[in-house]
Amino acid sequence: MSWRFQRVPTVPAGAALAGRVGAILAALACVAAVLSLAGLAPARLGAEVIGSAFGSVAGLEDLGLLVTPLILTGIAVALTQRIGLWNIGGEGQFNAGALAATAVGLHAGGDDAWVLPLMALAGAAGGAAWILVPTLARAFAGVSELITTLLLNFVAALLVAWLCTGPWRDPSGRALATTARIPAELPPLGDTLHWGLPAAIAVAILAAGLLAFTRFGYEVRIAGANPGAALYAGIPVRTRIVAVMLLSGAVAGLAGTIELAGTVHRLQGGISNNYGYLGIMVAVLARGSCLGVIAGAVLMAALLNAGIVLQTQGVNTSTVLAITGLILLFTAVGDEIVHYRPVRRTRILG
Amino acid sequence: MDLITGILSTALLAGGVLALAALGEVLAERVGVVNLGVEGLMSLGALTGIATVAAVPSPALGFAAALGVGFAFGCVFAAATVLLRANQVLCGLALTLLGSGLAATLGRSYAGAPAAAVFPQVAVPGLADIPVLGPALFSQNVLLYAIYIALPVGLHLLLFRTRHGLNLRAVGESPAAADAAGIPVAAIRFWYVALGSSLAGGAGAYLTLAFVPSWSEGVVAGRGWIAVALVIFAGFRPLTAVAAALLFGVITALGFVGQARGWPVAPAILSMLPYLGTVAFIILPVVAWRRLRGWFAAPAALGLPYHRDVR
Repeated sequence: MSWRFQRVPTVPAGAALAGRVGAILAALACVAAVLSLAGLAPARLGAEVIGSAFGSVAGLEDLGLLVTPLILTGIAVALTQRIGLWNIGGEGQFNAGALAATAVGLHAGGDDAWVLPLMALAGAAGGAAWILVPTLARAFAGVSELITTLLLNFVAALLVAWLCTGPWRDPSGRALATTARIPAELPPLGDTLHWGLPAAIAVAILAAGLLAFTRFGYEVRIAGANPGAALYAGIPVRTRIVAVMLLSGAVAGLAGTIELAGTVHRLQGGISNNYGYLGIMVAVLARGSCLGVIAGAVLMAALLNAGIVLQTQGVNTSTVLAITGLILLFTAVGDEIVHYRPVRRTRILG
Repeated sequence: MDLITGILSTALLAGGVLALAALGEVLAERVGVVNLGVEGLMSLGALTGIATVAAVPSPALGFAAALGVGFAFGCVFAAATVLLRANQVLCGLALTLLGSGLAATLGRSYAGAPAAAVFPQVAVPGLADIPVLGPALFSQNVLLYAIYIALPVGLHLLLFRTRHGLNLRAVGESPAAADAAGIPVAAIRFWYVALGSSLAGGAGAYLTLAFVPSWSEGVVAGRGWIAVALVIFAGFRPLTAVAAALLFGVITALGFVGQARGWPVAPAILSMLPYLGTVAFIILPVVAWRRLRGWFAAPAALGLPYHRDVR
């Protein structure tokens, strides 16, 4: 009698969740091991991180500021995941959105009540415009969207850096390498938090509703699950791909707008702060579920916050990026491992 | 004259970095594994090279160490994607985040400082004196000739002129058929992915020991992604991959020369050229020559994990 592992095609939700939690814990254990080898005390650092994020109202508000863009960039990735594609250009669309919103915010004077919606519209349009070429190439020429969306991230970052050190530089000369302060601001919600967080949560709920309860969402899910069957059933797969990718870009652009109008207030290089890349992680953690993205964003924000709190200990945003990569690796492996069941090998013929 | 020599010389160096990484990716993709971790592997290799020459001033040792680090991380990636059959896109992105983040964290003390030792330029007697072309083509470091001639020709012969090459292409086209024919699918995938990753690590060290030559956070600047794109543009072939890399070297060099000469274009716009060029070059061939689609076709099993027990 011997045992072997057999792959099962579908996994119950409970086992999948257990795999996720196990993978994250295993990755964090790896990080803790490395930190203690480097002479740091991981337990004390962990307590410090959790205390600073969840221990006070101010900490929670700071966490909320990080959660806001992560929900939106996570939704941007989750949307494309549902139709079987990867938008890994959220970073670029975030920048493009912030850029377009800045153009409106700097030049359209007047009441916040109409400047802010205009900025949001411009930001969404900017994000959608940034993904337009990869979208058309994917839908009509079958060019992998992975690389085209990613490469445009670098172009957007260069464009933003150039605009805020060159043509759009703060004319007062007081701030270096940024534009002037945008007069329009999102209304505050507490001390540092602003209405961007509820707006981001609303977008997540809207996206979940769109996918779950509309004909459009149904067609998108079918096209993602089985493009051949979708075509056979008369679903216009190409049109759906175009719509979903542009929507995804618009949401990432909106993330840039909200970060600009609520948190940063000036366009500057590095405004995107890796939110676009971390959004991939958020969407993966959420398994493409739009409401799950909110939970994924909180987890990711706590990690980012750890990078900020532990700066004096030699941990920084790059370290957080590395830890994110490790969690992603363990998650990918964990997702596959939960497919295996030990089965007893029975001997045929006596 | 100086202008052409400068462009050619820079193009060869910039293209060499891309060529090395692209050749590694050709190996991985030919056996059916998409490795999107090239960017991270290059970051790690770049740091390894700099850190090694800071301790022992030997660029060859630095390059070898980067090959080793690339190989080690490639083994981790291959273990996850080939042995455990995890999602290749996710693992690749994870490797990119992990590699870039790790290199930036560990490399802070090396940031900004020039490399302690760089690959020396060796003038080929006689040929180096040819006007215009001589200094660009025949007064370069030795590794450049390996990257542009020995390695691609060797890989081309291996892939297309040997039985082993046929086997490894079969693994990328139809692992089930290869398995049935007795070819060890998992072993071939594992070792070639690790070998390809090793070249990506080497490309990073070549960047910081011959081309830039210094370390800073983000020194790789998307070259790993450009290399992945080049492989598609080159139809998954080593010789065309190197030619394509040289083309991108020229585009990069034009940007540098433009900045140095004060062309009336913003430097930021010139810096965008390689990225925009890459996007254009992976879209255009598919649109322009539909009949040539077969030539550009990816290995049939690219990106698909192979499960012997699942049909």
